Amino acid sequence: MAGLVLKGIGKSFGPVEVLRGIDLDVADGEFVVFVGPSGCGKSTLLRVIAGLEEVTSGTILIDGQDVTTERAAERGLAMVFQSYALYPHMSVYRNIAFALENMRLPPAEIEARVRRAATMLRLTDYLDRKPGALSGGQRQRVAIGRAVVRDPKIFLFDEPLSNLDAELRVATRKELAGLHAEIGGTMIYVTHDQVEAMTLANRIVVLNKGRIEQVGTPLELYNRPANLFVAGFIGSPRMNFIRGQVTPEGRLVTPDGKVTLPLPAGHAPGAEITLGIRPEHVLPAGGEAPDAILTVDLVEKLGSEAYLYGTLADGTALTLRSPLEDPARRGDSLPIRFERQRLHLFDAAGLAIRP
Amino acid sequence: MSQTGSPPRAIPRDSLASRLIQGIAGLADRPMAWIQHAVGGRGMAYVFLGPNILFFGLFVFLPIGINMAMSLTGGTNLFLSERPFIGGDHYRSLMQCGSYLDPASCREDHFWKGVSNTLKFTLFQMVAMVGTALVTALVLNRKIRGRGFFRAVYFFPVLLSPVVVALIWKWILQRDGLLNGAITLAGGEKILFFVEPGWAMFWAVFVSVWAHMGFYTLILLAGLQAIPADLYEAAEMDGTKPMRVLTRITLPLLWPNLVVVLVLVLIKAVQTFDEVFVLTGGGPGTATLMVVQYIYETAFANQVQNFGLAAAASMLLGSVLFALTMLQLWIARRKAA
Repeated sequence: MAGLVLKGIGKSFGPVEVLRGIDLDVADGEFVVFVGPSGCGKSTLLRVIAGLEEVTSGTILIDGQDVTTERAAERGLAMVFQSYALYPHMSVYRNIAFALENMRLPPAEIEARVRRAATMLRLTDYLDRKPGALSGGQRQRVAIGRAVVRDPKIFLFDEPLSNLDAELRVATRKELAGLHAEIGGTMIYVTHDQVEAMTLANRIVVLNKGRIEQVGTPLELYNRPANLFVAGFIGSPRMNFIRGQVTPEGRLVTPDGKVTLPLPAGHAPGAEITLGIRPEHVLPAGGEAPDAILTVDLVEKLGSEAYLYGTLADGTALTLRSPLEDPARRGDSLPIRFERQRLHLFDAAGLAIRP
Repeated sequence: MSQTGSPPRAIPRDSLASRLIQGIAGLADRPMAWIQHAVGGRGMAYVFLGPNILFFGLFVFLPIGINMAMSLTGGTNLFLSERPFIGGDHYRSLMQCGSYLDPASCREDHFWKGVSNTLKFTLFQMVAMVGTALVTALVLNRKIRGRGFFRAVYFFPVLLSPVVVALIWKWILQRDGLLNGAITLAGGEKILFFVEPGWAMFWAVFVSVWAHMGFYTLILLAGLQAIPADLYEAAEMDGTKPMRVLTRITLPLLWPNLVVVLVLVLIKAVQTFDEVFVLTGGGPGTATLMVVQYIYETAFANQVQNFGLAAAASMLLGSVLFALTMLQLWIARRKAA
């Protein structure tokens, strides 16, 4: 296994700049997840690392060696594709053994490696079948087996669970976590599903418009987002944002003056600030003095909890997560308060204001 | 109803064209209602199929029947009613051979020469056609400059009439043609392409491949483009060498298309007539005489027009083509399944 260093990676397709100045260190044995909205460049970055796309600028180091100009096959990486990319005319055994045959390993060793991988991935009973005779989950395991058997320096996963149904996705996610714990390899995983990112990653890399917005552990990103983009992207339902200006009394007032909210001390009067608060940190005021009144537009009852979607007096949309089964009805005016320790503040440029 | 929800190319309901179409369609309403009343709902299917069945019967099945009857009758009269029934005499005379490998030992030596030439032509043409179509498709499937232009250029000869193709090449290959002009300019001696049997067969195959390769290239190209690109990327990640990619991934996945092409080429080669006939006239001697040319000449071009013998040869050729077509259908259906 090996570490990976990306220095100033840039990639353009004609005039379109897809990746800009990507710098990243991935430690040996780390599970790093790239997340971001569609078109943010996460899959391109993975393909650049794999050697399937050439970089326009920058350097790629694997295990300290510059592999920027090396072909994909020479980098010693293995990739699991979104579509599995199994050879449909070959049996499961042949699919897993194919790369080993390319390496001209002795047949006995190929057999041993394939059997070991098949046992690990519970594929022993399917070795003679063609991919067309397997379920989606089994095909995914074959694709993983094809990667595992090569003993690569780094595993690359390109949205490997996106073709699976919800139940199978959860099961395969657990298997992947187990696989990482078992073989301890360096893994780089691309997804747009933040639950996958949060549950699998040692560290998450949030990408937007070809740039890295933030790199950190899942909880770092959740609790201390570096900017508005990360704050809005990580977490579901997304964080609530209320834009306003600091009053001379040190409170936040919305542009139309209809909503005034408390702020921690230390902000200059007149400063443009965006207050962010996650739905689970917006609470019904109960007996306490409310910070604002939420007019409920929609209630989603999920059994274990409920989401209230509503608007404040100035029209700002706000979501509240309640542990109660049936906390309010559509049209209710609900007094709410914000957990003071959980407020996120961002300056006019959208960067987090740290206390 | 709002027009916004309509498909973009739909004719607006109240337009003149729409009213015209509705008016014309309306003319058929009464007769169709009357027919449906007469034959019932189920019978309508046959009413709609009827004209096509009639057309097929008149121009396909009836001629096959007449041909079959013709092959069992003798004489030189064209009308069946004036021809005496002779049973399988024509078939017997076609099959009467000292050795099937030696056309000269056969009673109908030209027929067997045609069979032998057609077999040779088919074999050479299949190898050359499938080989060149495959290589061309593989090249045109790559991201090369001017790919669209080359695809059009290779397909262009398919659009030409076989007679035009043969005439173009005849002008190029004849004694004082373009090619011999170039050879002479280069200091070489003229080659009599249509006098030497080997050259004549070579050019018959070559011209046929040149004229039809574009069609088969297109089929193979479609097959190549149906192979998902990520399989090649997976192969690249697996460190697969280009030749191994070709033999272990591309060709096995292209195999169903290749088989279809093989069978289509085979059927077309067995039917070959017009191109070779215009190009070489079956010569020199009978060096490029094909079975279909034999049938044509026996029935229409010889001084004694032996319709019965030609019909019997047609039936034999037809049964070979029928078997090949069944093979092609079986393969196509297996592929679809």
